[in-house]
Amino acid sequence: MLKIENLHATVADREVLKGLTLDIKPGEVHAIMGPNGSGKSTLSYVLAGRDGYDITEGSINFMGQDIGEMEPEERAALGLFLAFQYPVEIPGVTTTTFLKTALNAVRKARGEKELDPASFLKLQKQKLTELGMDADMLKRGVNVGFSGGEKKRNEVLQLAMLQPKLAILDETDSGLDIDALKVVADGVNALRAPDRSFLIITHYQRLLDYIKPDVVHVLAKGKIQKTGGPELALELEQKGYADFYDEAA
Amino acid sequence: MAQAAVHSFKTETLQREEAMPWLAPAAVLGGDNAPAWIAALRETGAASFAATGLPTPAWEGWQYTNLRPLTPEAFTFDAAGDVAAQDLPAPLLKDSHRIVLVNGRLRPDLGTPLPDGVKLTPLMEISEPEEELATVGSLAQSPLLALNCAYMRDGFVLDIAPHRDIARPIEILFMSAGNSPAVYPRVLYRFGENSGATLLERHAGEGMALTNLYAGIVLKAAARGRYYRFIDENGDAVHVSRTVARSHKSSDFQGFSSVSGVAAGRQEFGLELLDSGISSSIGGVYMLKGRQSHDFTILADHFEKDGTSVQHFKGVIDDQARAVFQGKIHVHRPAQKTDGYQSHHALLLSDQAEASAKPELEIYADDVKCSHGATAGMLDTDALFYLQSRGIPAAEAKALLVHSFLSETLEKITRDDVRALYAARIAAWLNAPVEEAAA
Ligand SMILES: Nc1ncnc2c1ncn2[C@@H]1O[C@H](COP(=O)(O)OP(=O)(O)O)[C@@H](O)[C@H]1O
Ligand SMILES: [Mg+2]
Repeated sequence: MLKIENLHATVADREVLKGLTLDIKPGEVHAIMGPNGSGKSTLSYVLAGRDGYDITEGSINFMGQDIGEMEPEERAALGLFLAFQYPVEIPGVTTTTFLKTALNAVRKARGEKELDPASFLKLQKQKLTELGMDADMLKRGVNVGFSGGEKKRNEVLQLAMLQPKLAILDETDSGLDIDALKVVADGVNALRAPDRSFLIITHYQRLLDYIKPDVVHVLAKGKIQKTGGPELALELEQKGYADFYDEAA
Repeated sequence: MAQAAVHSFKTETLQREEAMPWLAPAAVLGGDNAPAWIAALRETGAASFAATGLPTPAWEGWQYTNLRPLTPEAFTFDAAGDVAAQDLPAPLLKDSHRIVLVNGRLRPDLGTPLPDGVKLTPLMEISEPEEELATVGSLAQSPLLALNCAYMRDGFVLDIAPHRDIARPIEILFMSAGNSPAVYPRVLYRFGENSGATLLERHAGEGMALTNLYAGIVLKAAARGRYYRFIDENGDAVHVSRTVARSHKSSDFQGFSSVSGVAAGRQEFGLELLDSGISSSIGGVYMLKGRQSHDFTILADHFEKDGTSVQHFKGVIDDQARAVFQGKIHVHRPAQKTDGYQSHHALLLSDQAEASAKPELEIYADDVKCSHGATAGMLDTDALFYLQSRGIPAAEAKALLVHSFLSETLEKITRDDVRALYAARIAAWLNAPVEEAAA
């Protein structure tokens, strides 16, 4: 599904990723944990194709295609989805317009028919209810005036609507209280499927109590330093990242 | 006699050589038996313009807009413009009434009957003008208005009878047609006491044309006037206009204008809040590309207490286009408890696009609330990436952001159908293929 090989990437002329290799198979849930500033968000942006994040070496293969040069929307059409660590506010564009435009754009790019308004509204309502969200937010500008928790839920709502092949969740747990965390985790778990993979980026082990990963990686100094099973996350929770600072230094 | 009026300005001591070619075509007005007050205004206007010529960037209020590259030879005054009913654009709204002017001349044959309570009087049929028609303010400071006076002929007064609410909108269609017409329309819209009506003033036509409009608007006590302008010309049209809304006690004025297709334009709006308890607002959107330029120059003049004025403008500028916004709130000493609000926001889509803004407050009363805000910025790249990451193609994402940016100005428009007309113009501009406008 996703195969990253020896990825080097720079941001603002600084090398942040320094030879990262990762292989995610269909249906797998991988977690990447790492200290602040280790390059987790950089990895997510490089995967999503953000301007200013440049690949200098290595490759990213997604769904059998080299996506390194693709526009963000082309990657989305292929089935890549990034839940942002810091979701962007878009005043003036209502959440429902945003969802409809995005869903239809993705469907169109995949050669599917646009959803008629009634089916769209039905789908939207269903997902909203599942995530315990207030229908009122649909009429507001995207993420405008949303609390931190609402923004994260909105990311999961988009994820549920767009049904991607690979979902990257960048610190979706940060800023959530325990109840909200459960709702978000339930939403994600409901989407788990044999042909859908997840890359969960988190600083804390907490989220992984609710979304059970198959594989856990430790990212530090721009590289995967260690890979293991769920027990690795628990170990990190106890010992912290100090080892990796030392190891990588 | 009218002949004499045209020639008399040449005897004025102060004449600028470059002004004269602008006035020469006015000679065709000679011998048209205009009423004395019109002949007098022509004379005054011509003399005033002869002394000034077009404003230069050295003029107060004209730093950013230079009309001097305009040459009178490029336009034909009194151009024949034969337009048949089927050449007219479809009405803006169904169930509306229509007044049509072609190259500044009233064409009753192309319009629709007006409803009870609405009266249209051609200027040339008015022998004793009311004050609102004959006084125009200082011509020396308004060369374009002076020029409009010099060519005064075939405008009209539209009266909404007191205490009448005209349900259906009235479209006033100014068509330009034929060989590069120069048109100097003058109109007066008068809302009688406690009356209400919606006017849709539309400027349409293909190709080169010069429109120099003076529109007076009078709102008698407690009148409710809605005035929506659509500048739908495209290509090489030049539009300059001065619009003055004189509001009387407790009246309510709402104006809006959209412009996208002209090569160059300047719309001046004056809101005069002459009595107490008045609400008066003007808003607009502009969408410019190629080498287009446009200027909104606004003055809200508060003379008495408890008045509210709003100026709310937004625009988007691409390529090498240029936009100007000059807005002023003037609060005179008796105008206590004034609420004055002004904002202008420009979105620049290219490195070479240009926005100039000059907000001004002049306040002589002590108990007032006035605010102004002006910004010019590029598209939010974070928002653009966010939309793209959800699968929305860059061009569509950009259009969505621009559309939402601009359509915020429409929120205060009370009629849904009118709001939709403006939204459609924004959408049309965003979907139009990029073309190089004439230099
Ligand atoms: N836009 C940027 N400009 C400059 N430096 C950046 C930018 N984005 C990230 N960095 C730097 O790259 C490193 C990795 O950041 P990031 O990927 O956000 O880490 P994480 O998400 O793991 O906390 C940090 O040192 C950060 O300062
Ligand atoms: Mg991060």
